[in-house]
Amino acid sequence: MPPAAAPDALAAHWLAETVRIREAHWGPLEDSEAVRQALRQAGSFEDRVLLRARALGEREGLPATLRRWRHAAFATLALLACAAVLAGAGAATAALGDGSRPTNVLWALGTLLGLHLLTLLLWLSSFLLGGSEGSWLGQAWLWMTRRLARGPDAALAPQALTALLARNGSLRWLLGAVSHAWWLVALVAALLTLLVVLSTRRYGFAWETTLLHPETFVRLTHAVGWLPAQLGFPLPDAATVRASDGMQALPPDARTAWSGWLIGALAVYGIAPRLLAWALCAWRARRSLRRLGIDPALPGYANLRERLAPSVERLGIDAPDDRAYMPRLDRAGGGAGSAAVMAGIELPPDLAWPPFPVAEGVHCPEVLDTREQRKALLDALSQHPPARLLLACDARQTPDRGSLALIVELAALAARTGIWLMGAGSEPDRTPQWRERLAAAGLAAAPVLTEAGDAARWLEHGDG
Amino acid sequence: MAEPVPILKVAVVGHTNTGKTSLLRTLTRDGSFGKVSDSPGTTRHVEGSRLLAEGRPVLELFDTPGMEDGIALLEYLERLQQPGERLDGPARVQRFLDGPEAHGRFEQEARVLRKLLDCDAALYVIDARDPVLGKHRDELAILASCGRPLLPVLNFVGSPPHRADEWRAAMSRLALHAQVEFDTVAPALDGEQQLYSRLGMLLDRHRSTLTALMADLDRQRAARRVAAGRLVADMLIDIAALRLPVRTGEDERAALELLRGKARRREQQCVEALLALYRFRPEDYAAEPLPLADGRWGMDLFHPQALKDMGISLGKGMAAGAMAGATLDAFTAGLSLGTATILGAAAGGLWQGADRLGQRMLGRIRGWRELTVDDAVLRLLALRQQALVRALERRGHAARDPMRLPPPADEPLRKGPLPDALPEARSQPSWSTLSADYADSPRREAVARALAEQLSAEAPDAAAPPAAR
Repeated sequence: MPPAAAPDALAAHWLAETVRIREAHWGPLEDSEAVRQALRQAGSFEDRVLLRARALGEREGLPATLRRWRHAAFATLALLACAAVLAGAGAATAALGDGSRPTNVLWALGTLLGLHLLTLLLWLSSFLLGGSEGSWLGQAWLWMTRRLARGPDAALAPQALTALLARNGSLRWLLGAVSHAWWLVALVAALLTLLVVLSTRRYGFAWETTLLHPETFVRLTHAVGWLPAQLGFPLPDAATVRASDGMQALPPDARTAWSGWLIGALAVYGIAPRLLAWALCAWRARRSLRRLGIDPALPGYANLRERLAPSVERLGIDAPDDRAYMPRLDRAGGGAGSAAVMAGIELPPDLAWPPFPVAEGVHCPEVLDTREQRKALLDALSQHPPARLLLACDARQTPDRGSLALIVELAALAARTGIWLMGAGSEPDRTPQWRERLAAAGLAAAPVLTEAGDAARWLEHGDG
Repeated sequence: MAEPVPILKVAVVGHTNTGKTSLLRTLTRDGSFGKVSDSPGTTRHVEGSRLLAEGRPVLELFDTPGMEDGIALLEYLERLQQPGERLDGPARVQRFLDGPEAHGRFEQEARVLRKLLDCDAALYVIDARDPVLGKHRDELAILASCGRPLLPVLNFVGSPPHRADEWRAAMSRLALHAQVEFDTVAPALDGEQQLYSRLGMLLDRHRSTLTALMADLDRQRAARRVAAGRLVADMLIDIAALRLPVRTGEDERAALELLRGKARRREQQCVEALLALYRFRPEDYAAEPLPLADGRWGMDLFHPQALKDMGISLGKGMAAGAMAGATLDAFTAGLSLGTATILGAAAGGLWQGADRLGQRMLGRIRGWRELTVDDAVLRLLALRQQALVRALERRGHAARDPMRLPPPADEPLRKGPLPDALPEARSQPSWSTLSADYADSPRREAVARALAEQLSAEAPDAAAPPAAR
């Protein structure tokens, strides 16, 4: 799969997250084929996670679910937009009233802008307070979509989307953009309604008060109208404001000035901030959506790593096992004489040698370690074959083929051979391996001794 | 990305039964590689495994049969040389490989030497408990005659009666001055790094390969730790948020049993995931059952975060109601601003608030109580899983005894506050994946992430008894 453009990337990551959540809650899916497919493509772990998710998702019919949900989301957006148009137009007509009596300018302003400014402030304050999950209108959109999109796994789609976007940091911006767009539509609808209605009907404008001084309204009107006036919207002068107390008929100029003031306030305090906020949200959402990624530490992904991006590959073996060479004693030599020989085979320096004072007549060469020492004893034994040969081995070492070959060679020269496993019982104890190997080498009949006393007796008398 | 690095091929050689296959298992984190047993000649053929860094192969390791007949083979090799003939080491070995005994008595040794001639270097594995003998010297002489750098690796240095010093002295006498200790069952945390950096000293041409490999191993280790923290955090949140509503007078013991079962299964699931993450098998860990003596009765309805959430939803409800009211205002067109909007706001707020808190309050009034897992159990779970992660980090893949964690000392369990995430999770029953009305929320995600960070930050250095949490 080529690195996709933003919408495709969103779809791919959304699908992957859906599969991940599904597997996390209902157990892993059978994915050997999907993993094989993913492994066929070169790419990073992230690419392969997306490929695996695509293969699994298609098998489970998840793309259709997501598509349904997306359609529902767009349908909901359209519904919301209709509601926004109605709300905007309704608010505009409600603000102006039915024309039977002069429109109360402050009430009109409040109807047009009040709720909008309140929610905008709430949205702005969510930056200070933190922790909010996005604007409520955006949440309402998700909620309504959930009601609209039904079917198996329908709950998964929004859950995966919100989890994905929240992790990525784009959820609040996306929901913010939806919310601001709603208000933008509503306010533009209100503006158009105002323009149409004010163009085609006659309204009087007035302020009313029981408590406040009329001058307050002059200041208030100017304060509200100052910014729009900088942009060219008309501002009723002080005399007009004072005259608009509802007691006297207004000249047409004054009405034009009032309606311009109202439209200016709506455009500058309503549409402009929403437009800015929407642009900010859309820009941030786009930017974050471009950075969508796979978090390999998430449960569900962490355990996929070794399968999708293995760090180790087996290479197989060089050749099948052959019949292994094993030294084997065919027959013991005919020992003339009654000489006894005790030899230590590859004993470590910490075992004293000889371990006990040997009797007169018992030959005890130094421990056999090197080739030369081996040769010397083999030569000596073939000259004077002994009746009894006691071979002392270290039970802690592993019996290897070389040692056994030596034992077999030596045993072939003696009438009887005994094996003394020194150090049996201390760690690491390999007495069983020795017994097994000795038996395999044809020395099954040879006594295997583990105690020094037994060994000494065998050496002297030939019995354990 | 750096320019393509050449693949380094390394043979793992040594006397029989010194742990060559174990070394490969540990280095490749693959507990099922080859066959391991405490007897000679377990491995009878050469078997390879390849390590990849960021998807590219960098190092090929070859397990070989043990050398068993060094003395006789060296004698035979010397006989292959005609009097008056000058053969260098590799040529002499090649002559042996072409001869008849390479398929006869020395068939196993021939496999080793053939592979060694094909490799860039060899790791000579030593069982440090064995004495240094003539056969070892002869077999080293044969291996050295292949003309490849040898790095002695002292295995079993973790078991006390070893002769590492004797071996070091003997190796130095054979001009093998670079050595490394690496216990395949319980390798040091930086064991692999040491091994590869020593190998890099011997192989100048491949140093960049080994550097890339070490960097990748570091990255993998860090990623595993983060993922492990996340697994534990999710498990803790699931269990902390788990609550069972029980009607007063119903069989409380059955409910308690159900709660225990759920918590135990969830812990087991976490253990299995951790073992899989570190590439161990389930039988590598002998778990003690979770001691869940008692549950906790009550409701965390008034945790600050729960209240805050309720405030937010109340606010949202108000706003949603207000919108409905405003639209109503617009439709009625006659009623001026206020009545409908404000009525709507109030209704919306009440409705949403009641939705969340009310159901549980209502339950309480109707005589339902909620059973949750005790604080001490949460602490115990956190400590146990932390200890497991630490043990897994230190365990070699050659180890064959199941791991047993010592039960954590009781004292730290009682001390110190729980991590912030857990009391908050208690107040959010829908955060538990064990509950029927589980619903993921970005807040849960953030809390789990923070808890995971806290856990994985604590894990590495605490080699000593775990600190109070």
